[in-house]
Amino acid sequence: MKVSMNLLKKYADILVSPAEYESRMIMTGTGVEGIEDLGEKLQNVVVGRVLTCEPHPDSDHLHVCTVDVGQGEPLQIVCGAPNVAAGQLVAVALIGAVLPGGTIKKGKLRGVESCGMLCSGPEMGVPVELYPSVGEAGILVFNEDHPLGTDVRDIFGLNDRVIDFEILANRPDTLCVWGVARETAAAMNTELHLPEITVKDCGEGDISDFARVEVKDSDLCPRYAARVIKNVRIGESPAWLRQALHAAGMRSINNVVDITNFVMMETGHPMHAFDLSKVRGSHIIVRRAQKGELLRTLDGKDHTLQGGELLICDEQGPTGLAGIMGGEESEITEGTATVLFEAAAFDRTSIRLTARSLGFRTEASGHFERGVSPATVLDGLNRACQLVNELDAGDVVPGIIDLYPEPVQNQPITASVDRINRRAGVCVSGEDMVSILKKLQFDVKLDGDTLTATAPSFRQDVDGEADLCEEVLRYAGYDLIPTTALRGAANGGRSAAMLQNDYARALLSGMGFYETMTFSFLAKKKLEMLNLAEGDDRLNPLPLRNPLGEDSAYMRTTLLCGVLTTAATNMAHGNADVRIYELGKVFDNVHRTEENLPTEKNALCLCAYGPKEDFYSMRVAAEALLARAGVNYVIRENEEPFFHPGRRASLVCGGTVIAEIGEIHPLVMENYELTQRAYAALIDLPALFDCAAPMGHVKPIARFPLVTRDIALVMKNAQPVGPVMEAMKQAAGRMLEDIQLFDVFRGVQVGLGNKSAAFSLAFRAEDHTLTDEEIQRLMNKVLKACKEQFGAEIRA
Amino acid sequence: MGMLDELKRLDQELDSELKQTDSLSSLEALRVKMLGKKGQLTALLRSMGSLSAEDRPKFGQLINERRERFTALLDEKQKKMQALEQEMRLKAEQVDVTEPRRLPEVGTPHPNTLVLNEVVDCFTGLGFEVVEGPEVELDHYNFELLNIPKNHPARDAQDTFYIDDNVVLRTHTSPVQARIMTTRKPPIRIICPGRVYRADEVDATHSPVFHQIEGLVIDENISMGDLKATLAAFANRLYGKDIDVRFRPSFFPFTEPSAEVDLTCVSCRGKGCRMCKNTGWIEVLGCGMVNPRVLDMCGIDSKKYSGFAFGIGLERITMLRYGIQDMRLMYEGDMRFLRQFR
Repeated sequence: MKVSMNLLKKYADILVSPAEYESRMIMTGTGVEGIEDLGEKLQNVVVGRVLTCEPHPDSDHLHVCTVDVGQGEPLQIVCGAPNVAAGQLVAVALIGAVLPGGTIKKGKLRGVESCGMLCSGPEMGVPVELYPSVGEAGILVFNEDHPLGTDVRDIFGLNDRVIDFEILANRPDTLCVWGVARETAAAMNTELHLPEITVKDCGEGDISDFARVEVKDSDLCPRYAARVIKNVRIGESPAWLRQALHAAGMRSINNVVDITNFVMMETGHPMHAFDLSKVRGSHIIVRRAQKGELLRTLDGKDHTLQGGELLICDEQGPTGLAGIMGGEESEITEGTATVLFEAAAFDRTSIRLTARSLGFRTEASGHFERGVSPATVLDGLNRACQLVNELDAGDVVPGIIDLYPEPVQNQPITASVDRINRRAGVCVSGEDMVSILKKLQFDVKLDGDTLTATAPSFRQDVDGEADLCEEVLRYAGYDLIPTTALRGAANGGRSAAMLQNDYARALLSGMGFYETMTFSFLAKKKLEMLNLAEGDDRLNPLPLRNPLGEDSAYMRTTLLCGVLTTAATNMAHGNADVRIYELGKVFDNVHRTEENLPTEKNALCLCAYGPKEDFYSMRVAAEALLARAGVNYVIRENEEPFFHPGRRASLVCGGTVIAEIGEIHPLVMENYELTQRAYAALIDLPALFDCAAPMGHVKPIARFPLVTRDIALVMKNAQPVGPVMEAMKQAAGRMLEDIQLFDVFRGVQVGLGNKSAAFSLAFRAEDHTLTDEEIQRLMNKVLKACKEQFGAEIRA
Repeated sequence: MGMLDELKRLDQELDSELKQTDSLSSLEALRVKMLGKKGQLTALLRSMGSLSAEDRPKFGQLINERRERFTALLDEKQKKMQALEQEMRLKAEQVDVTEPRRLPEVGTPHPNTLVLNEVVDCFTGLGFEVVEGPEVELDHYNFELLNIPKNHPARDAQDTFYIDDNVVLRTHTSPVQARIMTTRKPPIRIICPGRVYRADEVDATHSPVFHQIEGLVIDENISMGDLKATLAAFANRLYGKDIDVRFRPSFFPFTEPSAEVDLTCVSCRGKGCRMCKNTGWIEVLGCGMVNPRVLDMCGIDSKKYSGFAFGIGLERITMLRYGIQDMRLMYEGDMRFLRQFR
């Protein structure tokens, strides 16, 4: 909220530099977002009188003038404006003056020295509402008298700074100049000089002769007050008012409208002025809209209402949206003779929802959304009438309409000085607390440790001891808070899920994988692009009701979409040799929790591409994650449709699929714009840890020698070696310490449709050196099993 | 003559051949020629039979002396040659140690994870327990129990992603705190890291998906001083011992009093720079004393217990830590970005 320092200083003394003031305000809770110097682009321009004005000897349109600026010798200035004449009071930009268009330097115009410039309105960048004649052609001529040498910023009201305050959500009372003035006086410990509000009515008649107000839905309008002004004299506002509005970024319209805007700015009470002659039946009705009602607002826009919005109506129908914008019909015009001022309190939620649903927000609705105190409504209304008196803009009719069926009043809060101190961690005496709260206009009593305080009527945010604690702390100073280490031992640590993630990350880093993160949303299309079969649960993701767009309309059911997208981005950027993974939640919309929320699962997805990658490099990466955790797994078939049908597998432990690995299917590659073969693994981390064998005691180191035997077996080409090796292990028993496949050969030597697989078997016994006979017995068992189960013969 | 001259000749022959020998193999041949079973010295020994009985021992001794001398000379030469040969081999094996090779690729966790780990280590060291909760959350925990009643502006669809009337994507990790407060008895000392969601369009400093780390402590006599000390420990651990913590009054529905926390600008160390807009301070997180109403709603006696809570935006501190200017980089996954972290 923008506040003019000049205006603020009328109400509260600020005796320190702007920077110090800013810092003090910030530290008491009124943030400052910026300070703007209104006159920054208008410096060293003063009032001067044209003493002489002669035509330039070498020009048919320039004049050579001498100008008295109230100090030293008169200045010789060359001026090109046709309206310049001796005797005029003008704005003189001195040498070194700053104007919006640049800096003024000494110079010569057609051979004649010129020590400054006589300025036009546009050259000074002064808006018309600050000084009406600035719009006229030629140099600006002051029609009223000003002492020579006067800084023109003082005349235009530009000798001012505007502070942009950041108002906290719980402090709507400070969303106005008086509110900031109250905080200022308390923060600077200076006097507050808010004007005493007095209204002089014209002494004739009564408001009831002019207007009637009926509030039908007082739940949305806890207070509605009105006063009537007759014999309205619409006109231009005085300079101080125009300047005050300009500083706050508002435009001057006419005296009556300006009064309503100024009162909102000053008191925080949005006002509305009706041309009473346009209010049909002179009867204002406040009620909820019915569905389908039509309304044209001041800005000329038509609205069809959904029903339930709070309206200001007359006997014929709606004339304005309560608290947001008035109607076009009852707008103040040049010809307005009788005005009804409205000041009210409306329900903040109702105003907010209406403004949102109609898609616009006004200064007034902003105030009501934040919360306008019903208790101080009359201050706003009467201040407006007081200004009508001051500006002589009309005659105030005696009497006030004030519909306030359930007056609200702040209740006394009982608090303990000790508890406040213990909460804040500070040591402020009860007396000091009283003086702070008094400065903030609380009604306070102290009795030993017991503090009884009632918040002033403009405050709606104070209803407990904790709030009093904050008030005390704000003014005692947040800097007083000491640092006191937490007491007592506590057994902290990482959660199980976090430790699982840490495990995966450590291993994956070692294997050259980088962690990526993508959004948890996706477009449904991304799932369909995975080639999933109809009926797959992953095609049924959780939809958001209000997504940002189609691309983020659902919660992910797999990490694969994000990881493939990241891989495609890297391919497009020309990054070679990429190993990435993402760890995060996936959302199963089909299986619900006890609270009927989707099941959230911690998932891990790896992806790699590049010349060194293939199905096996991805499989071993996944295997390493299982093996290091002690999972006893087997490799089984996999049917995920996003994988190459001949290059995919699952790692399974006791019937639980822990990992799915494969090369990305060409169709999916195309869908995701993957320009190279890519490999992925989907790993169910919680399942992995469910199957993990905890580390037991170490085994003793075997003392007896290892004996190795190599064999080559001929089998059908289509025979996977995995099951063969499993059968070999089974047959050899625990003496077989290790088995490795070291060669696979296909060629006519082993027969068409066959392959030869060479294995190296390593045997060891724990308690003796194995004899040749023992090893031969074991090898025979192995060969027998291979032959019986797979028809594999030893290679001749 | 005969024997003595022969010995002399052998001495000379050995000396001259030793001089000429230039390889271990020819040296070995020389050894055989001289000392082998069919060598010259052996032959000389054999020929001793022709000597008289009195000359024989004298001569035998001379031959043995020769044998020792020859052996010593040959061994010495061999050692020298072996050393030379090794030296030459090593010289031949010299490599260009500056020739580049590809490093074994070692990956890293995401920058968010790296910073999260530092934060978590800091707080677990202070006895905080890490607790997690659902990202798709009941309105009851995300708003209601945190003193954000129905129709509160914070619930607007502009800010919150809704699933239905009662379910939202959590807008902070505070609902985890609410879940803990309703199920555990004090003392409570937890941090809740995790993903949160706000309906913000993506730009350099906003993202609809981001991460928070919220902390909660509830016990008897917890004060704002405890809160300040805890956050100072965090700031010093992450950004250095010279970092100061400043509390500024603020407002959050679930805390009272509330504070915005500024740290000494990590870029200029408080001198004033563009990042801190010349204030020397940067705003990093929000915190406060848990509103007694929140405690009561969660079934904790606010007369007996008090507590503090704080919320840190992970992306914010990660960006500060590594000088990342655009948040989008963190979600794009370009390897040229990811490879920079350690």
